[in-house]
Amino acid sequence: MSSILRRFRFTEFQLLVAPSLMTVVGLLTIFLARTGSSRWTWSDIWVSLGYVALIFLMTLWFSATGFKGDQVLFPIVATIAGVGLLEIERLNPVLKAQNEGLGNVAQRQVIYLAVGLFLLWAMMVFVKRLDWLRRYKYSWGFFGLAMMAATVVFGTDINGARLWIDLKVATVQPSELVKVLLVVFLAAYLDDYGDLIAGSYRVWRFNLPPIPYLLPMVFMWLAALAIVVLQNDLGTALLFFGIFLVMIYVATARLWYVVAGLSSFAVGVYIAYQMFDRIAIRVQNWINPWADPLNKGFQQIQAEYTMAAGHIFGTGLGYGHPQYIPAVETDYIFAALAEELGLLGTIAILALYVLLVARGSLIALRADRGFPQLMAVGLTTILALQTLIILAGTLRLIPLTGITLPFISAGGSSLLTNFIIVGLLLRISDGSVKT
Amino acid sequence: MSGFFRASAFIAATLIMIYGMVATSGHASSAWLILLLISAALVTVAVWPRLPKTVPSVQRTITRGTVLFMVGFLVLGVQLARIQVVDSAKISDRTAADSGDLVVQDPRHRLQASEIQRGSILTIDGKVVAQTVKNPDGSYLRAYPDPATGYLAGYYSPLLYGSSNLEAAYDSELMGVSGGNPITQWLDGILHRDRRGYDLTLSVNQELQDQANQLLGNQRGAAIVMNAKTGAIVAMASTPNFDPNKLYVNDGPQVNAETNTAKEYWQQLTSQADSPLLLRPTQGLYIPGSIFKTVTASAALQSGVAQPDTVYRDEGALTVGSRVIPEQNRPDNNRVDYTLADAYGWSLNVVFAQIGLQIGPQRLQEFAQKFGFGSEIPFELPVAISELDSDPSFLNTESSLAVTAFGQGQIQATPLQMALIADAVANGGTMMEPYLVQKISDEKGTTLSTKSPTSWQQAIDEKTASQMQQIMINSVQKGYASGAQIPGYVVGGKTGTAEVGGDKQPNSWFIGFAGKTDPEYVVAVLVENGGEGTKVALPIAHQLLETAVQLNDSK
Repeated sequence: MSSILRRFRFTEFQLLVAPSLMTVVGLLTIFLARTGSSRWTWSDIWVSLGYVALIFLMTLWFSATGFKGDQVLFPIVATIAGVGLLEIERLNPVLKAQNEGLGNVAQRQVIYLAVGLFLLWAMMVFVKRLDWLRRYKYSWGFFGLAMMAATVVFGTDINGARLWIDLKVATVQPSELVKVLLVVFLAAYLDDYGDLIAGSYRVWRFNLPPIPYLLPMVFMWLAALAIVVLQNDLGTALLFFGIFLVMIYVATARLWYVVAGLSSFAVGVYIAYQMFDRIAIRVQNWINPWADPLNKGFQQIQAEYTMAAGHIFGTGLGYGHPQYIPAVETDYIFAALAEELGLLGTIAILALYVLLVARGSLIALRADRGFPQLMAVGLTTILALQTLIILAGTLRLIPLTGITLPFISAGGSSLLTNFIIVGLLLRISDGSVKT
Repeated sequence: MSGFFRASAFIAATLIMIYGMVATSGHASSAWLILLLISAALVTVAVWPRLPKTVPSVQRTITRGTVLFMVGFLVLGVQLARIQVVDSAKISDRTAADSGDLVVQDPRHRLQASEIQRGSILTIDGKVVAQTVKNPDGSYLRAYPDPATGYLAGYYSPLLYGSSNLEAAYDSELMGVSGGNPITQWLDGILHRDRRGYDLTLSVNQELQDQANQLLGNQRGAAIVMNAKTGAIVAMASTPNFDPNKLYVNDGPQVNAETNTAKEYWQQLTSQADSPLLLRPTQGLYIPGSIFKTVTASAALQSGVAQPDTVYRDEGALTVGSRVIPEQNRPDNNRVDYTLADAYGWSLNVVFAQIGLQIGPQRLQEFAQKFGFGSEIPFELPVAISELDSDPSFLNTESSLAVTAFGQGQIQATPLQMALIADAVANGGTMMEPYLVQKISDEKGTTLSTKSPTSWQQAIDEKTASQMQQIMINSVQKGYASGAQIPGYVVGGKTGTAEVGGDKQPNSWFIGFAGKTDPEYVVAVLVENGGEGTKVALPIAHQLLETAVQLNDSK
């Protein structure tokens, strides 16, 4: 008995109470706002009840198996994913066009969440030894490349970006999984060769790596530009290249690699901007959507109206008008949240992401040196950069990009991958697992 | 020292962000993005972690990387605050239009327009100017029952042309989003209570407004009757005008029919040469002619150049420079000596040309400015700015100065401006701020705010004002304005017949005041190409003044 109590993850359990209440009360609010009456039954909010049951089953399972990893990460993720679930439920009635295929958007989101939690569980069960990931690093790297190449060749364009492969049953976004493979590969590679890359000979004041180890950097730079040009997505390119730079920096402590990488990337993007119209449109929209307010600038303008309507307190969940933004459930889901939750709500959501990134970094700091540590850094970087890039695009700090807001945007590939990332982070946080 | 350095970096970053929010043009302007980048760099400096050398390299780099991410989130937060709060109204009010039609606007405005029952507009005697009625299907209809006041309310066309006049100026009050108790409004908003807009009560008197419209009839013109002591507009008529009922377009089952009617009517209104959408009393600019002599005479009296009984010679013509100014207004061709007061009453151009030359260009400019020329009259509706001269060196030649002094030359004035000149004379030298909305009240009839009369500008001193008042009364007693007399009342006034060039009929003007013992109401009437002031504008003004003082007495 006492051993069970000792293993019980009290912190995690307690932290899950608030997000559970939020999803239940939130869904009820949405339901009542939609019907305009005060009558409801438990079956109206089965989605949230199911979600609450799933997250508590998860924490109980962690306790039962004696998992000793981080107790804060999972509740943070459960809260953010809960917000995402609520917002998809809220947007469901306005997304009639997308309600074809398997169920409606909201039902699919619940299924994805369930599968995501299952994958998180699977990561914990099957990736017992991180060494297994490390050993096949070139296979992972090659697999990732192949998937990106397949997207370019067989992909379908959505909103001008070629990031999806249509498998008829569902549309998958390979780049989502590829970023995890990239982290695994880089962590293994940098763990092996990090010291060499940090520089073995000096040119003037700069430490340079030996030429053979410089090649991967050049390759990575080219690959990122290729994404910009071939897939027309600055966000994904920025994300991949950013992950690469952060991991290089962490492994080698050479800040100038980052500076050089970023500036050369900026130059590359600038040249691409001059050469390709499609990219130019996004940049034009960033600079001034009012140049073509009825067509190209329409989405951005509507998103800004929506965010501005939120003011401090927001209109209240269910009372906003997100239906005017095309593709609101992916690119601009944050704008919809901004209208209904107001500045107080959006700052709270930002705070959740800050907590997520801070917790990820803490796991990285506490992890064993070498491969696990670098992997934790990479995985946290994925979540941090992805959030920063998409939100900066939404808020017009940079051109809008097609990547998703972790755990909140609709979209299976992204949600599943994010749960894989969390699963791996939790695995790493459990110090008892040695490589 | 380092602590001080960090603190100053942080303070500098905060100041730059605040400055940027206030000073830069928009939330995505390059100036703002650069300032944001600079303050992000400063914040990074302020919070950059210093770790002892004993900490392993990887731990250090992870910490630093995380700090950079956090700064990124901070920047997002600042940008959110700007978009959602600081620039909120600016963003939501931005629209794009294509040949008059609104093509892009915040759809929330039209939703609000179809969800909130817009407040009514009433005259001071309780007649409906504009009201919103609920259709059986739940949608709303904005109706303007009286054609004499409807156009003054303006059109309300949230889906197509926006709004104009009072409908535009008091939009947020009519929608009930401002002007009331902010706490109640906020509670209504977050609790999603049904809201109804606030009602406006105008200072306009229905009877007088109807009469003003009738008297102008199918001539092009403007008429203003204003309370001399408060600035309350009692009547403000503009002809030709429009029927705002036909421009109403709002969400609802009738939207298509409404759109068709509105587009057709709009097309008709904008293609008409006589501009029915122009509110002539405030936006029409006209050459004033002789009524401007009021300004010249006031300038002469106050600056001590002349007294009311100063005698001038008028021999039937005057040569100034290369220009001959003919005199057609002398009551008796054999009489050559006239006092300033008589010259005003008989509207003698030759005398006023001489007075103008005596005053000089600077002083004429100065007094024109004191009377409001060159500045925007504070008013609820958009006003055109009246000008003494369009070309700054115009008054430097003597002939130009002479013709300007009797109201010709390059002067452009709105009827409202001319009404305020009469007000300065009638009200001890002070022009009141004109206003149309007397009070704002909620649906229960509780008054939310009442307009309190405010003075605008002191045009002349009290002594000059009383001298001018006497001169204007004199002009009605024994001058061309004698048709304006109302038995038992004090009446002052001045007619104007302004040459407009070519073979077009002159613009017909009258400004004046009337009251029981001292001036209570001022009037300004203009008829475009109407002919002589005495024959066209004066009778209209006379009847309006008579109705006004009698209404006041019967109260």
